[in-house]
Amino acid sequence: MLSEKTKQWIDERTGYKKFFHAIFLLNFPTKRRSRWQNIWGGALVLLMLLEIITGTLLMTVYSPSEAAAWGSVHYIETQVDLGWFVRGLHHYVAHMMIVAVIIHIFLVIISAGYRKPKEFVYWTSLLIGGVIVGLTITGNPLPWDQKGYWSYQIETGIAGTMPGIGSSLRSVIVGGSEFGNLTLTRLYTIHVVVLPVIAILLFTIHMALVRRERLRTAKIKEAADDPEIDFELDEDDPVKDELTQPYWPYQTTRTLVLTLILIGIVILQMLVYPTLKNQHVAPGLAEWEMDLPPSEIKLEAPADSSIPYIARPEWFVRFLFELRHMVPKELEVLVTAVLPGVLLAILILVPFYEKVLGEKWGQRLAIAVYMGGLLIICGISWYGVNLERSAPDYALKRSQEIAYAARASWLASENGVPPEGPASLLQNDPKSIGPLIFARHCGVCHTWNGHDGTGHYIMEMKDGKKVKATPRASDLAGFATTEWIAEFLTDPKAPRFFGHLGTTKGGDAILHGDMSDWADSYVGPEGVLSKEDIEAVAALIAREAKHRNAELVSESVIKRGVSVFSGIDFKDKSGKVVDFDGYCAQCHAMKAGDPEEEGGGAAPDLNGYGSSKWLSDFIRNPEAEHFYGEKNIMPSFEESKLSQHDLNLLVNWMRGEWQRPEEEK
Amino acid sequence: MRRRKFLKYCTGVLGAVYATVLAVPGLGFLLSTLKRGQQEEKTYQLAKLKDLEPGVPQRFSIIDQREDAWTKYPSGPIGSVWITKAQDGTVTAFSSTCPHLGCVIDYVPGDEEFFCPCHAATFQTDGAMVSGPQPRGMDDLKTSLKKVRGEQWVVVEFQKFETGISEKIPLG
Repeated sequence: MLSEKTKQWIDERTGYKKFFHAIFLLNFPTKRRSRWQNIWGGALVLLMLLEIITGTLLMTVYSPSEAAAWGSVHYIETQVDLGWFVRGLHHYVAHMMIVAVIIHIFLVIISAGYRKPKEFVYWTSLLIGGVIVGLTITGNPLPWDQKGYWSYQIETGIAGTMPGIGSSLRSVIVGGSEFGNLTLTRLYTIHVVVLPVIAILLFTIHMALVRRERLRTAKIKEAADDPEIDFELDEDDPVKDELTQPYWPYQTTRTLVLTLILIGIVILQMLVYPTLKNQHVAPGLAEWEMDLPPSEIKLEAPADSSIPYIARPEWFVRFLFELRHMVPKELEVLVTAVLPGVLLAILILVPFYEKVLGEKWGQRLAIAVYMGGLLIICGISWYGVNLERSAPDYALKRSQEIAYAARASWLASENGVPPEGPASLLQNDPKSIGPLIFARHCGVCHTWNGHDGTGHYIMEMKDGKKVKATPRASDLAGFATTEWIAEFLTDPKAPRFFGHLGTTKGGDAILHGDMSDWADSYVGPEGVLSKEDIEAVAALIAREAKHRNAELVSESVIKRGVSVFSGIDFKDKSGKVVDFDGYCAQCHAMKAGDPEEEGGGAAPDLNGYGSSKWLSDFIRNPEAEHFYGEKNIMPSFEESKLSQHDLNLLVNWMRGEWQRPEEEK
Repeated sequence: MRRRKFLKYCTGVLGAVYATVLAVPGLGFLLSTLKRGQQEEKTYQLAKLKDLEPGVPQRFSIIDQREDAWTKYPSGPIGSVWITKAQDGTVTAFSSTCPHLGCVIDYVPGDEEFFCPCHAATFQTDGAMVSGPQPRGMDDLKTSLKKVRGEQWVVVEFQKFETGISEKIPLG
C-alpha cells in the first residue's frame, strides 16, 4: 500500500480522496440508521455490475449473426472453460434483477419513498426498472435459438401493433420487414450499448438525486461535504452515530449480504437446472428419442422458421400474451399497446395519489394498486402456463422441441457448425426433417406406427366428436424389414397393409387382388406354406433393402426363401419336394430369389426392394411399369412436388439412416 | 468503535467473495483460448515429382478443412508452400509465410530469389536470408516421396511457425 505521505502527495494533485468518497459513498449518509429494507437498491447496483462483467466476457466470444450466433453460444457452453457458468450467471441474474426491481419498488412504496421531495428519485427508479426489463427482452433472443427467435417474433409483433407508428417502429427495431442478420446486429447494439448507457445515465441521475435528498435531511451536512471530517473521527461523539450512519460500512455490509444471497440462489438454480428449462416435461414421446440426456442440452434448437416451435414470451410479459388471447381480436391493440402504457402511468402517478386522497389513503391506494396488479398479473400468467401445459399434445410438442434441441447440440458437437449456419444441421438431417416431410406428403394416406410420423394423429370429425381419422393406405413403420414383410404375406388384408385401400378409387383391385388371393390360398393352417417358409422368403426379400442393422441371414434360410420365391426344390411341411405353383417369381422380379430369371412383371419389381434407390424411384413414379403399373392408386411425387433433397431425407429417414454415435459392434 | 471495525471487516470479506465469484470464472473464460490452435502435423500430397521443373520453385496451395471455434469450414485453401526440385532430384519445401511478420513470400524468377513484398525481405533459393528485416531464413518443411499408382509424389508436412523471432517454433 501507498504510504500516507504518497497518498497526500497524489491527493493534493488529483483530489482523488474526495472523488473516491463520492464514488464509494464513503460519507454518504443513510437515513438515520441503516436498515435491511434499504438494501435492494444497492444489491441491484452490484447485480448490474455483475451483468456488465459477465456480459463483457460473453462479448469476447459471442458473434451476432444468423450463421454464427447459435454456434458461438453453443461454443461458450461446451468449449469455453466455465463458459456455462458465466452465461448462466448472466442469464439468471438478469431474471433475478427483475424480481429485485419488483421488490425494490414495493419497498419504496410502503416506505413512501415517492413522497415530496423524492418524486424524481422514484421516477428514475421506475425508468431503471424499465431499462432492466428491456435488457432482458433484448438479451434472450441473442443466442438465436428457437425460444429466443420465436419470443422475439411475438415481442416485436406486439411492438408492431402500436397504433400509428407500430409497423415503422417494428421495421426499425427488426431492420426490415423480416428477421435476419440486421435483426441480430440491431438487437445486439441495443443490448450492449444503447440500454446499458441509458441505464448508467439514469443511475447517475438517480444517485445524484438520492444524495442531494439525504444530505439535505441529514444533520451532518457539513461533515459530509468536507472529506477531511471523516466518520472515522466520530469515536468522540457517539451521538453522531445515533443520528445518522454513513453508507460505508454499515449499509454496504447488508447490501453485500443480500447480493450474495441472491447470487447464491442463482448459482443453486444453475446447478439444479444446468441447462434447458421446462424440465417438467418427460421428453422422448413418440419417435422423438433424445440424442442427449436433457441435462446436457445447452440450448434450444437453432432458429428455423420451418421447424415447429410453440412461441412463448418471457415470463414477465407472459400476461400480455395471455390477455391478448382472452380479448376479442379488435381489442388486442388495447392489450398489447395501450395496457403497458396504462400500467406505467398508474405507477408513475403514484406520488399524486396523495394529493387527492391525503397521505394515509393515498399510500394505501398505491400499495393496493401495486399488490393487486401483481396478483392479477401472476394469476393471468399462472392460468396461461397451466392451460398450455394441460393441453393434450403439449407434452408431445415440447418433447419434439427438446429432441430437436438435443439433436442440434449433438450434431454441433460432433461435426461443428457449417459456415452457412446452424439451421442446416437439422435441415440436412433425416432424423429431424424426415418425419415432417412424411407428415406433409405421405401422412395424408399412410401412417407410421399409427401416427403421421411426428407423433400426431390425423383427426376427423365424426358424429360431432373428434376422432382419429382412418388411414387410407398402409402403415410404413418398419417397411421392407423381415417382420413387416412376413406379417404382410401372412395377411395382406390387415388394416396395417392393404386393409384401408378399399376406400380409395381403384383400391379395391389391390385389396382383393392377386396378393390377397395368394395369401388366402397358400398361407394359414390349410395352406402349403409354413411359418418358416414365410419368414424365410421375407428374410430373402428384406435383404434387398440393405438395412443398416439387418441381421445376417443364414445360408439355409436363404435357400429356403429361394425355394419359395422360385418354386424350385420347394419342400412342403413334411419335408417332401413338391410342385409349388404359388411361387413369387410368377409375378415379381427379383434376381436374388429367382435363379431361372423368370422375371415376373405383373407385380412390383422386388429387385432392391426397400433400398434407397427402390424407394426413391417408387415415390417418384409408382405408376411405372415395373411397379404398380395400371393398378397404381398412389399419387406420384415428381421433383416439383418433392425436391430431390427432401426425397433423400424422407427415404433415409424411412430406412433409419442418419448419423448416430459410433456404435460398438 | 468495535461494531464499525467489525462491519468494515465484513464488507471486506463479502466484497472478496463477490469478486471471487466473478474473477475465477472470468479468468477461466478468457484464458481458455490458450488451449486453442493446437495444430496436429498433417501431410499433404501436393505434386508429381516429374512435373516439377528442376531448380524452379513452384507454389502449391494447401487445401484442407478448417475448424475455427464453432464453425467447420469445408475444404479450402489454408496456406501455401514453395516446392523446389534441385538438379539432382532432391526436393525441398518452404512455408510461404514470411518469418518476419507473416506476409506471403513471392518468388522472382529473374533474380532467382524469394521476395516478401511487405518489408522487402529477400531469401536465397535455399531459404537463407539475403537482406531485409526478417529474423531468420524461410521455414523449411519436412518432405518425403510417396509412390502412388506408379508415380512419385511429393508429400509435405505442413506446419505454421511463430513469426518475428529468430527461432523456428511451431504455432500452438
